[in-house]
Amino acid sequence: MKKKLGFLFVFFSVLLILTACGGKEKNSTDATAKKADANGRVTLDFWSFWGSGARKDVIEAIIADFNQSQDKITVKYTYQPWGDIWTKSLSAITAGNPPDVIVQDINSVAQRAQAKQATALDKYIDKDTSKQFYPQLWETTLYEDKSYALPFNTDTQVIFYNKKLLKEVGVTEDNLPQTWEELEKVAHKLDQKKGNDYSRIGFYPLWNIGADVWALNADNGVSWFDRDGQVKIDTPNKVTALEWIEKWQKFYGRDTINRLEAEFGSGVSDPFISGTVAMRAQNINYYSSLMENAPDDFDFGVMQLPEKTKGSGHWSWGGGFVLEIPYGAKHAKESYEFMKYLTSEKVQEKFGEKSFDIMANKTANENLVKNKNLSEKGQMVYKMADDNFPNTVITPVPLTAPDYNSLVNEQLDQALMGSKSPEAALQAAQKAVTDLVKQNKTK
Amino acid sequence: MKASKLTMRKKKEMLWGYFFIAPFLLGFIVFMLGPMLFSLIGSFTDYNLTSKMNFVGLANFKRMFFQDQLFWKSLYNTAYFVLFNVPLTTAFSIFLAVILNQKLRGISFFRTIFFLPAVLSGVAVYILWMQLLSPSAGLINTVLSWFQIKGPAWLFDPAWTKPALILMKIWGSGGAMLLYLATLQNISPALYESAEIDGAGTWQRFKNITLPLITPIIFYDVITSTIGSFQIFQEAYVMTKNGTGGPSNSLLFYNLHMWNKAFVAFDMGYAMAMSMILFFIVMILTFINLKLAPRWVYYAGGEQK
Amino acid sequence: MIQPMDKMSKVRAVPATKKLHSQKKTTRVKKIISYVLLTLVGLVLITPLLWMIFTSVKPMAEIVRFPPTFFPETINFDNYLKAIQSFPFWQYAKNTLFITVLVVLGNVLSNSFIAYGFAKLSFPGKKFLFALVLSTMMIPGFVTMIPQYVLFSKIGWVGTYLPLIVPAFFGNAFNIFLMRQFYLSINDELIEAAEMDGANHLYIWSHLMIPLTKPALITIAINSFNSAWNDFLGPLLYIQDQSKYTLQIGLQVFQNQSTTQWNYLMAGATLVLLPTVLLFFFAQRYFIEGMDLTGGSKG
Repeated sequence: MKKKLGFLFVFFSVLLILTACGGKEKNSTDATAKKADANGRVTLDFWSFWGSGARKDVIEAIIADFNQSQDKITVKYTYQPWGDIWTKSLSAITAGNPPDVIVQDINSVAQRAQAKQATALDKYIDKDTSKQFYPQLWETTLYEDKSYALPFNTDTQVIFYNKKLLKEVGVTEDNLPQTWEELEKVAHKLDQKKGNDYSRIGFYPLWNIGADVWALNADNGVSWFDRDGQVKIDTPNKVTALEWIEKWQKFYGRDTINRLEAEFGSGVSDPFISGTVAMRAQNINYYSSLMENAPDDFDFGVMQLPEKTKGSGHWSWGGGFVLEIPYGAKHAKESYEFMKYLTSEKVQEKFGEKSFDIMANKTANENLVKNKNLSEKGQMVYKMADDNFPNTVITPVPLTAPDYNSLVNEQLDQALMGSKSPEAALQAAQKAVTDLVKQNKTK
Repeated sequence: MKASKLTMRKKKEMLWGYFFIAPFLLGFIVFMLGPMLFSLIGSFTDYNLTSKMNFVGLANFKRMFFQDQLFWKSLYNTAYFVLFNVPLTTAFSIFLAVILNQKLRGISFFRTIFFLPAVLSGVAVYILWMQLLSPSAGLINTVLSWFQIKGPAWLFDPAWTKPALILMKIWGSGGAMLLYLATLQNISPALYESAEIDGAGTWQRFKNITLPLITPIIFYDVITSTIGSFQIFQEAYVMTKNGTGGPSNSLLFYNLHMWNKAFVAFDMGYAMAMSMILFFIVMILTFINLKLAPRWVYYAGGEQK
Repeated sequence: MIQPMDKMSKVRAVPATKKLHSQKKTTRVKKIISYVLLTLVGLVLITPLLWMIFTSVKPMAEIVRFPPTFFPETINFDNYLKAIQSFPFWQYAKNTLFITVLVVLGNVLSNSFIAYGFAKLSFPGKKFLFALVLSTMMIPGFVTMIPQYVLFSKIGWVGTYLPLIVPAFFGNAFNIFLMRQFYLSINDELIEAAEMDGANHLYIWSHLMIPLTKPALITIAINSFNSAWNDFLGPLLYIQDQSKYTLQIGLQVFQNQSTTQWNYLMAGATLVLLPTVLLFFFAQRYFIEGMDLTGGSKG
């Protein structure tokens, strides 16, 4: 008995010694030297979530360029896991030791500015700074008329279509469906049945964008909250949008929709590549996924979201990321220098070229359309992005009710389950969110 | 003479007692007390982590009970989950431990397999369960169809999302199984042998020997499982597209709602208030459990000191 | 003392000779039933692991196929090579092992030590203090997460492994509670006898209690190994330097904002899983070895 116990202790101690030997350097408290070193050189801590693939390679190259091009600032990039990066940065800001520059979500810039989590940039920007970016992106980075972040990259929602399948029903680049009605017609031409089950579905609006995008597409680009922060959930146009989605669901049958969603909803299988779904509404950066996973001969195109009726506008939604200086960062001036570099035309073009992200710098995007290092498909995607951007709406988180989403989603779910009519659902959502705004006002 | 010896002995034991629990006390005071008190105080403020912490009295609690419909919904979801999850996972863990407590060849191999689900966490598990629970092609409904039962649209129907999650949890009962196994190993085979000679059947042996002797662990399991189940969060967060709470908020558990309040709305004071209420509820339930324990928990070592 | 046994006497005894013959047959049938049951349950439990392994050898083109396949059509161990190259795998493995071993040590020692006090010694305020122990389980982790982070930041521990390792040496509620339950099943007379022989409680704990509670200690070791090995939030928050990251953080590189590289992720996850499986498989030997049964329930 004692022998066995002794053995265990020895075993663990040996293991410990081995790992300790291998890791002696590890227990040092050295994080990053935040103070300027003897030469007056400042080291900046830059956090983002680009951990692998093209984005990681290109940002490391860009940072190396920056470090070499001048001798006042050294940038150190630290990878943080996607999603969790923001919990970590919030903790760091609370404790007073935040990174110097961080990549953040564009839609919550004002919210963080209000909560004193970001440093204002008005001291560093000049009159020309805002002109580089798409206007709606720049607006989203303002809070009380001050700038709190620089837009870095963005996206927009479009419809990817299978060129081969659409050609079979007579649709080519010249006669793509432009309105909701035309889209329905084309989609149903593409449906294929095997007995009672669908073996191919032309299009389903919720694969893969949310009902909120269709809502704003129908309602002149107005999302659940309008620009003045008024709750605009229960509007006639939005009711029409929800009814339209319901119509699709009834057509294919809820069972079919659920079955298919269960099988590819987790994001592993791709029904578009396998031809089970002929047209797919998706974020434009789905392109990089297609490049990696689709067979070489897979021919696809992109088109705008259709208009509800002719002339109502091809409204789409976009998100994106910004560069921010967390509140309490110690070298704001140097941080801004680095951010300025990252948002300059050439650097943006370089990043876009490798990542296929839509960049925030307008000229960079325009250059990418003609960039010879991109394939034909790549150039096509950038052209679409550039064309679509005037119709793309960014929806900043409303400061009066930042967590309103679950209330709306609950009602949308119930409408699509058939428990409520779209009209009743939107009414209930309107009421719930207005209540939430009231609750928060009394805080 | 006798009297002073007793008090001396008692005193010594007392000192030893404090000596042994000292590490816990030290750790508690240094690492936990501060944050816990801070949460308590924070629940009476509008703390948002970075820019304000003003005293607001009972405002958070008033809002919670009278205005926040999602608070009640999340509480209901969580209570539902706890009510079914605790007994079912406990029973299944005991079942697993019992069938693994045999001297068969290759039993180590089986034990490893049965334990694996408890260690397997993360994305792979959720993805696979989403596929297993697929309404028509998933394994679960396929098996049900062999018995002429039409399985529900598990993760799409708000009425079935929680049962789906409970199924997943039952699958992962390996951790508790380990505890039961360790206890079962401690039971002398002589007990079973003499029972068998007396003619007791399998079920009787289980009911009268096994069960009483594992009640200390069942007690532990029920309490920790209840406390743990009230805090379910990870699964709902991952399986419902980053915290949206699933179809019709049916998977919006208490912790998830708290998380949204804390990190989406930055309303940390409110989240702290919610955590205080949870603490209160769990404490009452644990207290009830502790009071009921002597009626059914059997300690072979003697009177519970 | 052994109340359950009293109920046994109510059952009628069966003649001895008949017993022997039917005993042999029932044992064989029982064995078969056992194996069948074990295999069926085992298959159900292992399916997600199988999916993970199968996915880890498929090329991405097959993974995205719809309808999805279960068994791989092409087997490609390249994924494992790529996965290891995508982040400093071995470095992170060393880091994770370092933290994990220390945490296991801390957990096993501190919890068995502290629980002895709660289970076998009496002192004023014991009930209240034990309630305090339980209370630490009841607050959701992320509420105390940020205040704790600020605390550690103020004492300069952020950026080191200390916040991940040191608390393990001060016990945690779950394990204290667990050990207490095991201790309560041990006969008091054993301790009293040792005391009369002149042993003090420290000696009793280290030379008597630890051997007697081996299965419990091994269980704690296994569970705390797993929880430290798979810990994500702790390392995420407290490690600043990329080179000091752990395996769980490393695995995240395969999940980015728009896509997930399932093939590499599953390969990586399978590799990360291996130590816990191996540990459990080999630790069983210490489990099975019968305990000194006078310490357990009496026959």
